Amino acid sequence: MKRAALLLPLLLLGCAGGEQRTGVYLQRFFGECTAVYGRETNVAAAEGECGIITAMLNKFNAENPDVRVSDNVVAWPGYPSLTAQMAAKDPPDVVTMHSGVIADYAAKGLLEPVEPYLREAGIDPAAFTEASRRAVAVGGRLYGLPWDTHGGLYHVNTKLFAQAGLMKDGRPVLPSSAEEFLRHARQFKARTGKPYLIQSLVGDPAGQARNLYTYLLAQNADFVPAPGQIRLQTPEARRIVAFYRRINEERLGTLNQDTPAAIASFTNGEGGIYPTGTWMIGQFETDERTPGRPLHDSYAVYPFPRLFGRDVAFVSGHAWVVPKRERSPAERAALARLFRFMADHNGDWARTGHLPAFRDVIEGSKFRALPHRADIAPLAAKGRPLPSVLQRQSAVEGIVGEEVSAAVIGQKPIDAALADAERRINEFLAETQVGTSAS
Amino acid sequence: MADAAPRARLSPLALAAVLVGVALMLLPLAWTLLLSLKSNADLARDSGAAFGPPYTLENYRAILQSASTFRWLLNSLLVSLLTTTGVLLLCSLAGYAFARLEFPFRRTLFVFVLLGLAIPEQAVILPQHQLFAELRLHNSYPGLVLPGLVGSFGVFFMTQYFKGIPRDLDEAALLDGASRFTIFWRVLLPLTVPAQATLGVFTFLGSWNAYWWPLISATRSDMYTLTVGLASAQMNYAQTSGLGYLMAQAVFASIPIFMVYIVFQKQIVRAMAGTAVR
Repeated sequence: MKRAALLLPLLLLGCAGGEQRTGVYLQRFFGECTAVYGRETNVAAAEGECGIITAMLNKFNAENPDVRVSDNVVAWPGYPSLTAQMAAKDPPDVVTMHSGVIADYAAKGLLEPVEPYLREAGIDPAAFTEASRRAVAVGGRLYGLPWDTHGGLYHVNTKLFAQAGLMKDGRPVLPSSAEEFLRHARQFKARTGKPYLIQSLVGDPAGQARNLYTYLLAQNADFVPAPGQIRLQTPEARRIVAFYRRINEERLGTLNQDTPAAIASFTNGEGGIYPTGTWMIGQFETDERTPGRPLHDSYAVYPFPRLFGRDVAFVSGHAWVVPKRERSPAERAALARLFRFMADHNGDWARTGHLPAFRDVIEGSKFRALPHRADIAPLAAKGRPLPSVLQRQSAVEGIVGEEVSAAVIGQKPIDAALADAERRINEFLAETQVGTSAS
Repeated sequence: MADAAPRARLSPLALAAVLVGVALMLLPLAWTLLLSLKSNADLARDSGAAFGPPYTLENYRAILQSASTFRWLLNSLLVSLLTTTGVLLLCSLAGYAFARLEFPFRRTLFVFVLLGLAIPEQAVILPQHQLFAELRLHNSYPGLVLPGLVGSFGVFFMTQYFKGIPRDLDEAALLDGASRFTIFWRVLLPLTVPAQATLGVFTFLGSWNAYWWPLISATRSDMYTLTVGLASAQMNYAQTSGLGYLMAQAVFASIPIFMVYIVFQKQIVRAMAGTAVR
């Protein structure tokens, strides 16, 4: 009895100690892999987006006994769930968000500007790369901790490039203009009998939108002249679409392929260049290291080359945003500490293939020692997101991709496709635009 | 037994057409199954690899190793069973009332029920979500079950079925001193078993496959149903780098449904043929 009386306060103290652990409710996509990484705290031992983020959160929880991050994985991309949670006034504390979506939520006042958290975490926004800083900036405020930059890359089969006589000093020679692109493509096809370009033209609106946005930005085209408005019936847009249509008319690229088919084509050595994103680097590197595979020792990757105008490229990125809700000082401090931890581990995330969001990481020797990363690093400097005054970028991308695809494969005249894209997007934006904010 | 109608013989041409139809329907299912038995790496290189060995169960092992899979499975089972039970109970009671009882505004109310058939789920999802938020029912079993209990189709279906049962039975029971509830429970309800089975099967299938409402109501992973949980477990670009796993998820999620089909095959066929309502 006496022992029980002594133990009781200790038990209560223990319980009270447990309750003092500040909860941070983190919501993300990237999949669920607790079966493999549920207890992993060694981030270096984890692979892939899911593995790395899971191990990171395990490590944070292990190193911060007074904070408990609950990891809630949602079905990609997670916005239906997030919007529902916000409508129910029960949003998570911190969420992964694509940069193109941040303006939608920020304009509705659903996100907190994160400068106070950055200050408390000792993170200087000047430490962000140019692309990642732009990605989270809306109306002069920062609405997220940038986490990575991802965008289009030219994945190259160097063995076929050598066969086509397009290698110089061990590096593939990429075109520096649209005309040179076509010359290279013809030469490549003549010498290898294979298409220069592997394209996923079926069911991949993002791919076509990436091409158009990149070269519109390169030509300094004013294609978002005002909030809630897009302009695509321009000489710049016509030039880009006509160029891709020409590629297909001359059969210099693959046709009728969706994304899995295009990936299979590239990994099986059936074409020279596959323009797709940073996220495919890991898979192609694996093939590069595997003897017997067509890409074995025959893979290189670079940002989109400058074909028109300036050397810039359209990019997107992931960021950690903070939905607006009541928070105690302890919760705010826990969030700031999580931000600090995320920033400190940004280099680990770079192993996924995405570019780091911090200058010191991208310029660091650890990152540059990773395969091909030095070649793609310039994307972080020349990458540009769409202006944040353009809301509903995900839906806009779908319309752009659909219409541009129809034009480049010859299903629709170029002018008609661009006119339809412009009309459809402007009608859609007129119905859905909320507020206005300058980027 | 005596009323078993002789089966009509199909002409060879009709038989061939049926076989082609069966093959066309089975082909995607067989393709899904084959893909689920291949490693993701093999499929990323060539999805045609599904046609040949080696086959593996690694995708199924990955699903079963996930700590949450059985929780989601349990959630789905609970939600589907509770919804089905609730729908059968409520729709039977409502159907009986509309078919047999006289009460004020009966016809008007029935018109409202029929209107419910014309209003899609999407049209009411926002106020419904708001209502459940006010009641703090999101991320709970009641939150997942209650919307499924509103079944215009079930009420209409059971009303029509009760109307088809001769009123002589009610009158005979009334003469014997039975109460309204006794007539419903002891006399009429047992006669509606075929309709109950049909409605039950369709409700269970609908609840099991539901995605949208669970997606926005159950936002915490411990309350996910299997459909939402499996979707959340997918990594981006699952269709390219995780095709086998994706297909294994599809097969895994459909196993309980497949079992329901096997057990209730007769009722499903009757319902499809429109013979459950007399």
